[in-house]
Amino acid sequence: MIAAAWLCLLAPLAGALAITFGGQRLSRRAAGWLSTASVFVAFGGAVVAFFAMVGRDTAAQRSELSTPFTWLSAGTFHVGMSILVDPVSIVMMLVVSGVGGLIVLYSIGYMEGEDEERRYFAYMAFFVFAMLLLVEGGNLLLLLAGWGLVGLASYLLIGFYHQRPEAVAAAKKAFIMNAIGDATMALGFFLLIAKTGTLSYGASFAAAPHLSSTTVNLVALGLLGGAVAKSAQLPLQTWLPDAMEGPTPVSALIHAATMVTAGVYLIVRTHPIFEQAHHVEDLAAGLGAATLVIAGLIALVQNDIKRVIAYSTMSQIGYMFLGAGLGAYANAMFHLVTHAFFKALLFLAAGVIIHHLAGEQDIRQMGGLKKFMPKTWLVFLVGSLSLVGVPPFSGFWSKDAIVATALARGGIYGWILFVAALFGALLTGIYTFRLFFRVFYGEPSALVLEHAGAAHGDHGHGTESATGHSEHAHGEAPQTMALPVAILAVLSTVGGLLQVAGAWHPFGRWIAQTGAPLVEPTTSQDWIVSVITVAIGLTGSWVAWAIYRTGRLAVPSAPGLQRLFEHKFYFDELYDAVVSRPAQLVASRLRTDFEGPYVEGSLVEIGHAGGDAGGLVARLQTGRLRVYAFAIAASLVVLGIVFLAVR
Amino acid sequence: MMGPSVPWYLFVAGALFGIGTLGVLLRRSPLIVLLSLEIMLNGSNLALVTFSRHFGTVDGQVFAIAVMAVAASEVCVGLGLIVAVARKKLALDVDLFSELRG
Amino acid sequence: MLTTALIVVPFAAALFLWLFPLPREYASAFAILASLVEVGLWIGGAIRFDFSGGLQFSARHNWFSDLGVSYHVGFYGFSLWLAGLTVVVCACSIGYGVWAGREHPRAYFGLMLFLTGSVVGVFASQDLLLFYAFFEAMLIPLYVLVGVWGGPNRVRATVMFVIYTMVGSLLMLASIVAFGISQHTFSLVDSGTSGNNWIFLGFALAFAVKAPLFPFHGWIRQAYTEASPEVAAVLSGVVSKAAVFGFIMIVLPHFPGPVHDFRTTILVLAAIGLAYGSVLAFRQPDIRGVIAYSSLGQMSLIILGVFASSSLGIDGAVLQSVTHGLVSAAMFLLAGMVERQWGTGEFARLGGAAKGRPVLTTMLLVAGMFTLAVPGSANFAGEFLILAGVFPLGWGYAAVGAVAMVLAAMYTLRVLSAVLHDRKSDAPDVSSADLRFGQLALVVPLVACLLALSVWPNAVSGHSFSRTPNLAIFQYVHAGPFQTGQVHMAGK
Repeated sequence: MIAAAWLCLLAPLAGALAITFGGQRLSRRAAGWLSTASVFVAFGGAVVAFFAMVGRDTAAQRSELSTPFTWLSAGTFHVGMSILVDPVSIVMMLVVSGVGGLIVLYSIGYMEGEDEERRYFAYMAFFVFAMLLLVEGGNLLLLLAGWGLVGLASYLLIGFYHQRPEAVAAAKKAFIMNAIGDATMALGFFLLIAKTGTLSYGASFAAAPHLSSTTVNLVALGLLGGAVAKSAQLPLQTWLPDAMEGPTPVSALIHAATMVTAGVYLIVRTHPIFEQAHHVEDLAAGLGAATLVIAGLIALVQNDIKRVIAYSTMSQIGYMFLGAGLGAYANAMFHLVTHAFFKALLFLAAGVIIHHLAGEQDIRQMGGLKKFMPKTWLVFLVGSLSLVGVPPFSGFWSKDAIVATALARGGIYGWILFVAALFGALLTGIYTFRLFFRVFYGEPSALVLEHAGAAHGDHGHGTESATGHSEHAHGEAPQTMALPVAILAVLSTVGGLLQVAGAWHPFGRWIAQTGAPLVEPTTSQDWIVSVITVAIGLTGSWVAWAIYRTGRLAVPSAPGLQRLFEHKFYFDELYDAVVSRPAQLVASRLRTDFEGPYVEGSLVEIGHAGGDAGGLVARLQTGRLRVYAFAIAASLVVLGIVFLAVR
Repeated sequence: MMGPSVPWYLFVAGALFGIGTLGVLLRRSPLIVLLSLEIMLNGSNLALVTFSRHFGTVDGQVFAIAVMAVAASEVCVGLGLIVAVARKKLALDVDLFSELRG
Repeated sequence: MLTTALIVVPFAAALFLWLFPLPREYASAFAILASLVEVGLWIGGAIRFDFSGGLQFSARHNWFSDLGVSYHVGFYGFSLWLAGLTVVVCACSIGYGVWAGREHPRAYFGLMLFLTGSVVGVFASQDLLLFYAFFEAMLIPLYVLVGVWGGPNRVRATVMFVIYTMVGSLLMLASIVAFGISQHTFSLVDSGTSGNNWIFLGFALAFAVKAPLFPFHGWIRQAYTEASPEVAAVLSGVVSKAAVFGFIMIVLPHFPGPVHDFRTTILVLAAIGLAYGSVLAFRQPDIRGVIAYSSLGQMSLIILGVFASSSLGIDGAVLQSVTHGLVSAAMFLLAGMVERQWGTGEFARLGGAAKGRPVLTTMLLVAGMFTLAVPGSANFAGEFLILAGVFPLGWGYAAVGAVAMVLAAMYTLRVLSAVLHDRKSDAPDVSSADLRFGQLALVVPLVACLLALSVWPNAVSGHSFSRTPNLAIFQYVHAGPFQTGQVHMAGK
C-alpha cells in the first residue's frame, strides 16, 4: 500500500523532471504523452493503494504512515519526510490523479500547436506532484510544503501566456493572495510548535484537547486563513476569477477540481483541532455561506464563459466549507469529489467551445451552438444539471447532503446557514442555465457561423458526412479531448451513487474512519431538503429560461445592483485602496525620505568629516624623512618624560 | 669585574646614540645620515654588550652580532642607493627626496 | 591539516597568480582549478566529518605564547557548512569573472582567491586575533575589487563600505584586546565568559555593520549595485555570513549576560530590518537594488534566529545562512547576466525576456522561488525554523516574519515579471540568445545545491547543533527558554 502511494507521489515528479531535462530533444507530442503517462501511473498507484486499503479491516490498519528520512529537525523538533495514507487521503489521491490524468490527456489536444507546449506539460505534471504531496503529506509542515508548491504551480500555469499582461498580473495576484494564506498557516504552526513541540498529525491532534481555548482558536484561525486563501473564499476570494487567464485545462484541473478544494481537505484533515475551536468552525461555515451567496450573485452578470464557471466554483466550494465547518466531513468530501467531476466537465466542455471558436470566451459572441456542437451540448447539459442538483446527477446527492446538514444543525445560526444555502441553490439554477441558454440557444452569432463554416471546410464535412467518423470532424474536438470529456460526463452522471441519503452510505462510512461527523441529518430531513432544493433549483432554471431564452442578458431594472455585481462587490477596489496603495506609498516614502537622507546620508556625512580631518593631518606629511624621524624621536622623548613624570 | 662600572658604559652608549640621532635629523647629505645611523646602532650595541657582561649571559652579545649583520646589509642597500642617485647626477640632499608625500 | 589546506590553497594560488606572468587563458584556468580544488577539499572533509563530535580537523600552533595567541583552526558542524557555502559560491563567482573576461585577470583572480581564503579562514579560526586577522583580510581584496572593477559610482561605494566596516572592526579590535587581556588568552576554546557590556557592544557593532543589521545597513545599496555582480554575490552571499559566525562563535558563548540584557534590543532591530528591507525591496528601480534590500531582510531574519536562544532558531539560522548565501549569489549572477545582455538592470528598460529564452526563464524563476521562500523550499525550511524558534519570545517577531513572507512574494514576483514578462515600450530590442552552456554552468551548481537542500534541509539544520547538545561553548544555545517552556507531548 505504501509503496503504491510513493509511486503515486513520485511518478508525476519524475515526469516533470524528464520533460524539463529533455528540453528540445523531446518532441512536443512526446512531452504531452509523457506527462499524461506519468499522471496515469500515479492514478494506477492510487488505485492499487486503494484496493490494498479496502482489503484491511479496521480503521487503524487502514491508516499508515511512512517516514523514510527526517526532512527537517532542530533540537527536539523533528519533521519527517513522511506520507500518510488513510481513507481521506486516498480519496483525494484518486480524485487528483484520476481527474488530473484525464485533464492532462485533454490538454494534448487543446494545447496542440501552442508555443512552449513542453513547458506547459512539465508544469502540469509538477502541479499534480505538488497536489499529491499536499494530500499525502504525513505532517502539517509537509502539507504546508505541498500547499506552497501547488500555489507555485498555479502561478506558473495562470501566467502561462506570459505575453499577456493580464495573465501575468493574475498570476501574481493569485500567488500573493495565497502567500497571505501560507503566512497565516505558518503563524498557526508556530503557535502549535511553541505549545506542543510537534507538527505531526498524531501528536498535535492528541494534544489539541489539552490546549487552552485561546491557543486552539488561534491555531484554527491560522489554518482557516490558509484554507480561505487557497479555496478562494471570502475575504481572500478575488484571485480566482482573474486566474481564468490561464489555459482552460488549467482552470479545470487547478481552479475547479483539485487545488481550490484543498481548503476543504485541510479542514477535514485537521478536524481534531477545529473541533476544539467551535467559533472558528462556525466562522468557516459562515464564510462558506457568505461566499456561496456572493459568488452566485456575481456569476449572474459575468459575460466570460470561464468566469461564470469560476464564480460557480467559488460558490460550490462555499457549500463544502459550510459542510466542513458544520462537521459533516463526509458530506463535504463527497461534494468535493462530485464537484471535481462535474466542474472539470463544465470547464473542459467550455474549453471545447473556446477551442472551436478560436479563443473567444465572451458569451455575448456565442449563441445557437447546439446546432453545431450537439455532443458538447449534451455534456454541458449533464454538467449543468449536476451543478444545479437535479436528480439523478451527482451534484444532487452531494449538495443536498450539505444543505440537510445545515438544517440538522438547528439553532438560529443553523437556520441562517440553511436559508443561505437554499438561496445559493436558487442562484445556481439561474446563473447555470443563463450560461447554458445563452451559449447553446438563440440565433447563432456571426462568429459562430464563421467558425462553423470553417470547420466544415477544413474537414470536408460536406462530402464525408455519411460516415460515423465524421461526427468528430464536425469541428467539436479531437479524440484526446473528446475521451476525457466523455468519461467525466459519465462520472458526473453516476458519481453521486457513492452515497444515497438515507439508504446507502459507503462513502460516509469510509470518511468517518478518519473523521466522524459531528452533525448528521435524519432521513426525513434529508428527504425534505431534497425536495425543497430540487424545486428551488428547477425554479432557478425556469427563471433563467424565462429571462435568457430571448437573449436578454442583464438582470432587469436594477442598474445599481447590477453595477455592484459587475464590480464583484468592490473587493478589488477595496483592497487596492486599503492595502496595496498605502503599502506602495509607505515604501516609496521610506525610500526617498528616510533611507536616502538618513541612513545613507549619515554615512556620507561621516565620510566627509573623515575626509576633512584627513586633509588637516595630510599637511603634516611633507615627505621629508628627517621630519618623520624627528617626529618619532620627539614622541619618544615626550613618552619618556610622561613615563618618568607618572612615576 | 675589571674596568669602569656599568653606568659609564651606558653613558658612552647614550652619547653615541644621541650623536647619531642628531646626525640623522640635522644633516642633509645621505652619506652622513647613513654614517649617523651606524653610530646609533653602535651605541645600542655597546649597551647590549654591557648588559650582557653585567648579567653574565650571552643573549645581549648574540643580539649585538645580529644587529651588526643587519647594519652591514643595511649599508649595502643604502650605499647602493646613494651610488645610484649619484650616477643619475642628482643632488645628494635628503630633503629633495619627498616623493613619500605622494 | 585539512583546515589549513583549505585556507592555504587559495592564498598560495593567489600568490602564484600575482608572481608569475601567466597569459589570460592560463590565469583563468588556474583560478578555476584552484577554486575547484577548494570545493573538492571541502567535500572530502564533509564526508569524513563526524557531525556528532565537537571541533574537528583542528590544528593548533602557538603564535605568540606570552599573550596566549595561537594559530588555531578547525570546524564545528555549523562552520563547516558555512565554509562549504563559501567555496561553492566563490567557485561560481570566479567562473563568472572568467566568463565576463575581467581586465587584469591575474590581479583580479588573485584577489578573488585571496578573498576566498580569508573567508574560509574566518569560518575556521578558533582564536580571536586570528579571527580578526582574517576578518580584516577580507576587506583588502573587497576594497580593491569594488574600487577598481566596480561600476561608475564605485569610488563612493568603496568609501562608504570601507569606512563603515573599518569603524566597526576597529571597535572590535579594541574589544578583542580588552577581552583577550582580561581572559589571559585569545583562544576561543579556552576563554571563559565576560559580563562587560562595552566589550560586548564592540563585537556586536562590528557584526551588525557586517551583516548588516538595521540601521547600520547604509552601505549595502551602493556596494551591492556598484560592485561587479560576482563580487556582490560573494559580498552578500558569503562575507555577510562572517557576522553570523561571529555572533554564534564569539558573542553568544562568551557574553551570556550582555546577550541576555541586549537580546530584546537586537531582536527588535532585526525585526525592523526584516520588515524595512522587505518594504524597501518592493520599490527599488533595478534588480540589484531589490536583491540588496532583500538581503537586508534575510540577514535580519538570520539574526532573529541567532538571538532566538532556542535550538530551532539557531539551527534555522545556520540553514538560512547557507540557503540565503546560495540564492543571493545565484540572483546576483543572473542579474549580472541580464545586465550584460540588456546593458541595464533597470526595470523601466527591461522586459519580455521570457520570449524565446526558456533556460534563462527557468533559472530566474527557480532562483526567484527560492528568494521568496516558497513553502517546500530549503529557504522556507530555514525561515520556518527561525520564526518558530523566535515565536516563544514574542509573537510579534513571528508576525513580522509572516508579513515579510508576503512582501517577499510581492517584490520577487515584481522582479520576475519586470524582467521576463512586461514588455516596456522603450525597452531596447535585444535579440540576444538564451543562456549558453557556459553561463548555465555558473548558476546551475548553486541552484542544484538549493534543490538538494530542499529535498533534505535536515542535512544542514540537523547537522549543526542538534547532534552536539553537550558542547561546552554552546551550552547557552541549548539552555534557552524554548526547552523549558515547552509542553512535551509523548509519542508520535
